[in-house]
Amino acid sequence: MVSLHIRGLLKRFGDLVALNRLDLDIEKGELFFLLGPSGCGKTTLLRAIAGFNLPDEGTIHFDQDDVTRLPPHKRETGMMFQSYALWPHLNVFRNIAFGLEERRVSKTEIKSRVEEALAMVRMEGLGTRKINQLSGGQQQRVALARALVVCPRCLLLDEPLSNLDAKLRVEMRSEIRRICKEFGLTAIYVTHDQKEALSMADRMAVLDAGNIAQIGTPEELYRTPNSAFVAGFVGETNLIPGTLAFVSGVNHYVRTAVGELAGRIVSPGWSPAPGQPVTLSIRPECLSLDSSPPVQNAIAGNLTESIYLGETAQYSLLCEGRELPLHISELNPRRVIRDTGAGFYASAKPEDIIILPGS
Amino acid sequence: MNKSLSISIYGFTAVFFALFFVFPIWHTVQEAFVTSEGTVTFAYFAELFRNPIYVEGLVNSFYMGLFTTVLALLIALPLALISNTWQFRGKEILNSLILVPLILPPFVGALGVRQFLGQSGVLNTFLIDLGLMEAAAPFDWLGEGRLAGIVLMNALHLYPIAYLNISAALANLDPAMEEAAENLGCTGIRRLFRVTFPLIMPGLFAGATIIFIWAFTELGVPLVFDFDRVTSVQIFEGLKDLSGNPFPYALVVVMLVATVLFYLTGKWFFGRDNFSGSGRASTGKTLRPASPLTSAFCAGTFSLVTAIAILPHLGVILLSLSHDWYGTLLPTALTGQHYEDALGHPLTIHSIANSLKYASLATGLDILLGIGIAYVVVRTRLPGRQLLDAMAMLPLAVPGLVLAFGYLAMTREGKPFDFLILGEDPILILVIAYAVRRLPYVVRSAAAGFQQTSVSLEEAAQNLGSTPLRALCKITLPLITANLIAGGLLAFSFAMLEVSDSLILAEQQQHFPITKAMYALISSLGTGPNLASALGVWAMVFLAITITGAGLILGKKLGALFRV
Repeated sequence: MVSLHIRGLLKRFGDLVALNRLDLDIEKGELFFLLGPSGCGKTTLLRAIAGFNLPDEGTIHFDQDDVTRLPPHKRETGMMFQSYALWPHLNVFRNIAFGLEERRVSKTEIKSRVEEALAMVRMEGLGTRKINQLSGGQQQRVALARALVVCPRCLLLDEPLSNLDAKLRVEMRSEIRRICKEFGLTAIYVTHDQKEALSMADRMAVLDAGNIAQIGTPEELYRTPNSAFVAGFVGETNLIPGTLAFVSGVNHYVRTAVGELAGRIVSPGWSPAPGQPVTLSIRPECLSLDSSPPVQNAIAGNLTESIYLGETAQYSLLCEGRELPLHISELNPRRVIRDTGAGFYASAKPEDIIILPGS
Repeated sequence: MNKSLSISIYGFTAVFFALFFVFPIWHTVQEAFVTSEGTVTFAYFAELFRNPIYVEGLVNSFYMGLFTTVLALLIALPLALISNTWQFRGKEILNSLILVPLILPPFVGALGVRQFLGQSGVLNTFLIDLGLMEAAAPFDWLGEGRLAGIVLMNALHLYPIAYLNISAALANLDPAMEEAAENLGCTGIRRLFRVTFPLIMPGLFAGATIIFIWAFTELGVPLVFDFDRVTSVQIFEGLKDLSGNPFPYALVVVMLVATVLFYLTGKWFFGRDNFSGSGRASTGKTLRPASPLTSAFCAGTFSLVTAIAILPHLGVILLSLSHDWYGTLLPTALTGQHYEDALGHPLTIHSIANSLKYASLATGLDILLGIGIAYVVVRTRLPGRQLLDAMAMLPLAVPGLVLAFGYLAMTREGKPFDFLILGEDPILILVIAYAVRRLPYVVRSAAAGFQQTSVSLEEAAQNLGSTPLRALCKITLPLITANLIAGGLLAFSFAMLEVSDSLILAEQQQHFPITKAMYALISSLGTGPNLASALGVWAMVFLAITITGAGLILGKKLGALFRV
């Protein structure tokens, strides 16, 4: 296993800048996620690491090796494709054995290593199956086994779970994480599913239009996003534009269309001056709903919708001076408020209102 | 559509196929096994295999099919791989030019080849001029290597079919399949043999089958080359004394059995698994931009192949323009007289009108049948619809010669279908013959259209009050017009170029289609070959226009029309 070091990576497709001088370090044994909306460059970055597209500028190092110009077949990465790319003319065993055959491994060793790989993905005894006789989940396991059996320097996963149904997807999440941790793999995992990233990643990077918007652990990205984009992409949030009014201790007071709200700044090294435009991010689960006005950070509005989901109840509050309703989610609701049309107050603690740069 | 309408379409097409596909074949087979006294016998076959001339004919036909297929694949495979790997300058235009030979009638091209390689042809003249050959003893290239000449002509005509099939197979391949191999350390030639070839084998096989069957039963080219040691020509010659001679029937049956056997063996070895559609492509294939040197190499290869393939037809054009071209490098004098004569000659004028008439009626019939069959196959769940689909594709696998022979036999006087010959006019049977042979192209393109057009579009119309039939006519048919036009154009062009049915079924001069008129002109003396060439050039110009149209409309999907 290796660590990865990417410096100033630039890739253009015609006029489109897919990767914009990107820097990234991934540690040995880390399960690293690339997260972002479609077209943000995450797959381009993964394919650049695999060697399927050559960057226009910049370098990629595996430990100290410069692999920037190395062709894909010499990089010894193990890649799992979104479509799995299992060859239908070879059976399960031959698919997994392929990489070992290319590496001139002896017949007996191939046999034992493929058996081992099949056991690792819990597919013992299915080596003689044809690819089209496998279910989606089984194909996914074979693709993983094929990538792992060659002991790659790093494992690259391109939206590996996107073709599976919801239940299987949740199951395979822990399965892939178990395998990665058990074998100490350096793995880079591309997805647009933020739940997948939050639940599996050691660290993750959110990409936006070819730039890394933020890097950190799942908690860091969720709790202390550095921009409205990251706050909106990782998890659900309410974004409220406003202007910084004044600062009092740790609390920053922001004037918005729904009233003056007190929040905190979480990005180190950023301190806006009063009068500067900012954006507030308030997670739905940080808001609570009351019929009487709370002391601090009260936002008045009319309840337009209430949805009961068992473990949570979700409310929409339409506030004056704001087009989008405010989303509020109550964990473990004992009593669901169903008085739609009635006036209510939403409020959040200042430490749960994150102040981010304005757009 | 409602069930009763589907069932009636199913029934109608099934009856049509039974009468005009199964019955003629059955009729021929029967004649080969039954004596004039009505007893079943295998004597004709025993006799046939004892006759060295017939055996030689069969062996030569087999060689003709095999070598043509191998040569066509050798030409097409590198071209398809180049085209699927690099983006080079002028690719679009070269990609369509490479297909042009397909629509040049090969037996007309053979005329051109004769002009180049004949005893007093261009090559010999050139060698004599250089002093490398005695003028008194010119070498007979075609006499010595006639089979080679035929194979070359056929391969140069048929390689586009392989090219289209292989290109389509390569384009359908999920690029991740090849990338996965590269990721695991397998690249270049090894990857080609371990991953790419096995995966495109079904496409390769589909192309190879059509080429083999086509070449194995080719009639026009050996006729023009005057080569009677192949089964197809022997059957054609045998027609002249059809009355009592059972051998043509027996030969047709042998040919039919042979093609079916070759087809099944091939399918068993190469076509067992259909890999197409396995796994959705995750990334579009990006073609590598070629360096100037590579670009020149790619463009050069494409141009060279095209140039060689159309050389015979350039010969035809020259021949059609030449006043006198005998024993010289180039025609000594040019003239437009032949074109004028060709249009004034009673034979040709009639033949052009006849061909247009037969081909358009056949195309119309094909489009009707094609829409019906494609609809039943794609849109309904009727049991046995796959059988209908398979049946509609079968004409690709059955030699045209076999069918033509069957039609002839079943419309003879006193036979059940002699009413189809109106007086002496073979129009009905020719239209049916043309239509049956070209039906696969129309069915394939219509079916492709139905598959691409979501059924929910029709359902939406029904939901808003259209009857199922109106929904089909108002929504789906307009959406698949492009497919229908393309399939129809192909059916039309190939009907115009048809050789076996035309030569065998049109017996009176005033009913000759173009191909038979050309054949008659070629065999006549004087300016006959020049006139035939002029007629051929007219036909080529015409077909070039239609096929370019089809290519523009369908693009890469054109390849799908040549699948079995």
